Amino acid sequence: MPPQLPHAEPGTPDTRGPLRYIWWLVRCQPWRVLRGGLIGTAWMLGLSLRPYLVARAIDDGLRAADHRTLLWWVAAIVVAGMGLAYLGIMRHRTMTFVREDASARSAAVLLRHLSRIGAVLPRRLAAGEVATVGGADITHTSAVLTMTGPGVGAVLAYVFVAFLLWSVSPSLAVFVLLGVPTVVLLVGPLLRRLERVESVYRHQQGLLTTRAADIVAGLRVLAGVGGRGLFARRYAARSQRLLAEGYRVGAVNSWIESLTIVVPGVFLAAVVWLAARMASAGDITIGQMVAVYGYVAVLIVPVWFLLEGGHQVIRGRVAARRIVALLNLRPDTAGPTSPGGGTRQAPDRPADLHDPASGLTVPAGRLLAVAADDPAEASALADRLGRFVASEVTWDGVPLTSIALDEVRARILVADHDSYLFAGTLREILHVRADLGDADLRAALRTASAEDLLDAHPDGLAMPVGTRARTLSGGQRQRVRLARALLAEPDVLILIDPTSAVDAHTEARIAQRLRAARAGRTTVVLTTSPLLLGRADLVAHLRDGRIVTVGAHVDLLEQDPSYRALVSRDNEPADVDGSLR
Amino acid sequence: MSGLPVADRQVVRRAALNLIAADRRAVAVVLVLHGAAAVAGLAPPWLLGRIVDEVTAGAGAAAVDRLALAIGGCVLAHGLLARYAQYVGHRFGERSVARLREAFVARALDLPISVIERAGTGELATRSSVDVTTVGTTVRDVMPVMVIAATQLSLLFGAIFLLHPLLGLVALTGLPTIVAVTRWYLRRARPAYLAEGAATAELTEALTTTAEGARTVEALRLGAERIGYGRQRIGQVWATRRATLALRSVFFPVVEASYALPIAVVLLFGGFLLDRGMVTLGEVVAAALYLQQAIEPLDRLLLWMEQAQRGLASFARVLGVGQQSEPAATSVATGTPRPRVPASARPGRLVVRGARFSYADGPDVLHGIDLVVRPGERLAIVGPSGAGKSTLARLLAGIDEPREGVVSLDGVAVTDLDPAERRRRIALVTQEHHVFIGTLRDNLAFAAPDASDEQMRAALGAVSADWYADLPDGLDTQLGDGARELGAADAQQLALARLVLADPHTLILDEATAALDPTTARRTERALAAVVNGRTVIAIAHRLNTAHDADRVAVLEDGRITELGSHDELVRAGGAYAALWRSWHG
Repeated sequence: MPPQLPHAEPGTPDTRGPLRYIWWLVRCQPWRVLRGGLIGTAWMLGLSLRPYLVARAIDDGLRAADHRTLLWWVAAIVVAGMGLAYLGIMRHRTMTFVREDASARSAAVLLRHLSRIGAVLPRRLAAGEVATVGGADITHTSAVLTMTGPGVGAVLAYVFVAFLLWSVSPSLAVFVLLGVPTVVLLVGPLLRRLERVESVYRHQQGLLTTRAADIVAGLRVLAGVGGRGLFARRYAARSQRLLAEGYRVGAVNSWIESLTIVVPGVFLAAVVWLAARMASAGDITIGQMVAVYGYVAVLIVPVWFLLEGGHQVIRGRVAARRIVALLNLRPDTAGPTSPGGGTRQAPDRPADLHDPASGLTVPAGRLLAVAADDPAEASALADRLGRFVASEVTWDGVPLTSIALDEVRARILVADHDSYLFAGTLREILHVRADLGDADLRAALRTASAEDLLDAHPDGLAMPVGTRARTLSGGQRQRVRLARALLAEPDVLILIDPTSAVDAHTEARIAQRLRAARAGRTTVVLTTSPLLLGRADLVAHLRDGRIVTVGAHVDLLEQDPSYRALVSRDNEPADVDGSLR
Repeated sequence: MSGLPVADRQVVRRAALNLIAADRRAVAVVLVLHGAAAVAGLAPPWLLGRIVDEVTAGAGAAAVDRLALAIGGCVLAHGLLARYAQYVGHRFGERSVARLREAFVARALDLPISVIERAGTGELATRSSVDVTTVGTTVRDVMPVMVIAATQLSLLFGAIFLLHPLLGLVALTGLPTIVAVTRWYLRRARPAYLAEGAATAELTEALTTTAEGARTVEALRLGAERIGYGRQRIGQVWATRRATLALRSVFFPVVEASYALPIAVVLLFGGFLLDRGMVTLGEVVAAALYLQQAIEPLDRLLLWMEQAQRGLASFARVLGVGQQSEPAATSVATGTPRPRVPASARPGRLVVRGARFSYADGPDVLHGIDLVVRPGERLAIVGPSGAGKSTLARLLAGIDEPREGVVSLDGVAVTDLDPAERRRRIALVTQEHHVFIGTLRDNLAFAAPDASDEQMRAALGAVSADWYADLPDGLDTQLGDGARELGAADAQQLALARLVLADPHTLILDEATAALDPTTARRTERALAAVVNGRTVIAIAHRLNTAHDADRVAVLEDGRITELGSHDELVRAGGAYAALWRSWHG
């Protein structure tokens, strides 16, 4: 039966080890696996049927010139062919279902885990690693399950053919039964070597492809600065080097491929010779001699299958180990981001946040701007206030770390200037709360002064946006992030450099609208832009990790020369402004 | 919407024939060798048939030994012939692939920038990576397999004909169903497998991006939403896999059942012929064995058919890139080749007269711009998003041509300048930058091929690229692709160092620092200061400080220049600029 995917509930995987994990994937679908085993066995046994039937048709029909019998055997060949075709496709379907069920289950448990583990993840794991796990590793792990059904069948088929051969001639049987695995074991490593040589070549080919993609990605730069001829020549030189390498690979590989013809061929010749000798001596019939020739070909299938399967298990185990390792990643249990950490209630009304490390107090319900000399200090401050690191921060006098993390996340939002934008329509990206309608989204886009995004695209809110919103300009991305943060409507919103990539006109509009949109709620803006600072209720100047002055923007401009220097950048002769002087 | 064309059937066929024609002798040798190898491969069943006959006739061990030895000899000959056939074929494939990829890159490099922008580099990148690789695999790996299989099949069936023409005819009974079901399958397979590949890639991407954005997922509590999105992707993968499985569920059993049919018919009909003494028992047995032997190459041929079809489609897309570059030499407006006017190196007068511009067939974004940029002046252009600032910058740089009106440098339309000359005189610096894979020297040299190491180091110094001091191998340090990656600011500095080397007299800065975070932006701005000295500079201003210090400021609103003058003049005039300046300066 085809599985229902995605699973309503993927279940709890056994992550004590790679093989236990694979076994879990089997245990989740025992009947399907059993079915695959039965059909796989039947199919492999069926493979040996055709040589047998052909032999009988020759011996009893053709040689005996018995037309009735011949007709019977020929009919049997056709029926067996159809039966085999049916078994073959049923086996393929069932095993596809088994593998797909396993893949979907792996993807689902990985997805669930990745979605829950949170901010700790990027620190522990390179994104490329997840791509490997989420792509090839899932497939390789599922491929192991192919062994469950037909693997059993392969062994049984081998035994069955052995039995058939034995009935022809015990000595021939011994020769064939030992010979076929020997040939496979001889040829297998050769093919494996072929694969290795090829993979080295493919790696170099991949590098060349990267070069071509690199040139294409830089075409606009080349168009602006020149140098196309140079790149064409350099690429051609590399291509020629790969060509030389390809010739070398071809010289070696063609010998290996030739051996894969000769080794089994010589073995087959030996079998034919032995069988023919017996036939000429009258020990076996002509039909039996032809059948032995057929059995050798049939035996190759299960033996080859078992060898391949062995490699699949080895590769799958490595892949499953990586999956298990990822599933075993836990948020720091003792640290600040532990899911359970903290039991106390968050204040049920707007309340002040206080950060002893810098001496900053965030007044409840106001728009506070923090101008930091060092942007690194600004983001460290945001991490403390948003409880992304352990700190002494208190909320209404209660230590932030003692409040349930989920509560903190629901009510305090740190909007990073590079917060992640997932692929989807604009509507999906902005839909951060269940109760939001299109009107809310439009209002937030207006506050972020991003209406032009809607006007520019015929699909409006349904416009597709790629991963990281690469299709948007830097300024557009930033405004979408701002709109999204506003839509989350947290009690405390901490914005890091929300307007650094937009022009002054737009920034002025955002400053004005942001203030109106967040009226009565607590908002912290980390910025050095005078347009934003000028709109804040209160401005704090963060210098060397401490708040040095607090007051209105205009007052600070007058009283704090270092603040003045920071926000108007007058002291930087090498600025663009300086350069244009 | 892809801006790049796809070559039609005829072009593809001609290109394929050209590849073969370019290597005519190698192709002939390959075909002859494969044919010989296949003949050697066919001998064992025929010899087995001979053995059957000899043994039936009561021949002794000596005859059997002789025939068995002959089988062994044929196997060795088969191996040797196959080896050389493979080798020559492999070399042919390698050569063809190299020719294809080099021609592709050369054609891509010839594309005019307007075409690249219209198509998007994404589309071109896909063709350069996925399609070129697919064509390569097809030519190098798939074609040989198919050639071998086809040769073996024609010889196998030919051999049965030789045994007896009537046997040969009945051996073909399985073919009609196989041909019919294969055509049915191939028509549906490609879109189905492409959809499967795309869905699989999306699922992997869903997992990867969830990991990359884990902090955002936690901050905005998007966990449930991500799981929902991923579940949809899993469902999508399953739907596409079931679709391809459904195709195979028809294709495989029909083909497999068709294998048994001719064997049965040959035996039956063989009995009939045997009765009449028209064939020997050995001949019938050999025919049955040949048919048995045909299963494997037929399987291979059918299995690779889908891949070959995919290769052809990729080939059409690869060739399509070449077609686009042809109209490059002619102007879009007039369709005739244009004279390339050489330009002088002296700072010139950049003049815009009545320029109107629209993208594709959209509404005008610039409505009659008149502007004279004086040699050596610093001009700042300010205005709200969408006012047309970047469009104006592109017209000034000669990347786009106005729909109406003209942009000229010393009286010559900038789009009429020879591109290489134009680049030497006017450079456009945008947020975009690209570090090429290769050494630091490679990344600088293409801007000025004659530059000495000393000049390169000086250029890096001029843009205060202090990271240069940390590089282990100086100019020979490898950059990009797993080697050292430069951050956005460093990359932008590298781009500026290229400009110092290229030495244009007019610089157009289009928010060159807007995509950088504030600290980095400041560092880059410092680097810019070094570059702009002694040149005409047109800056799309992002921060008003820039405008404040420019010689003149142009305010662009809704595609029109509404204010133009020095900072002080505009502030005195009390217009939109003055209002903005006041709010900026508190």
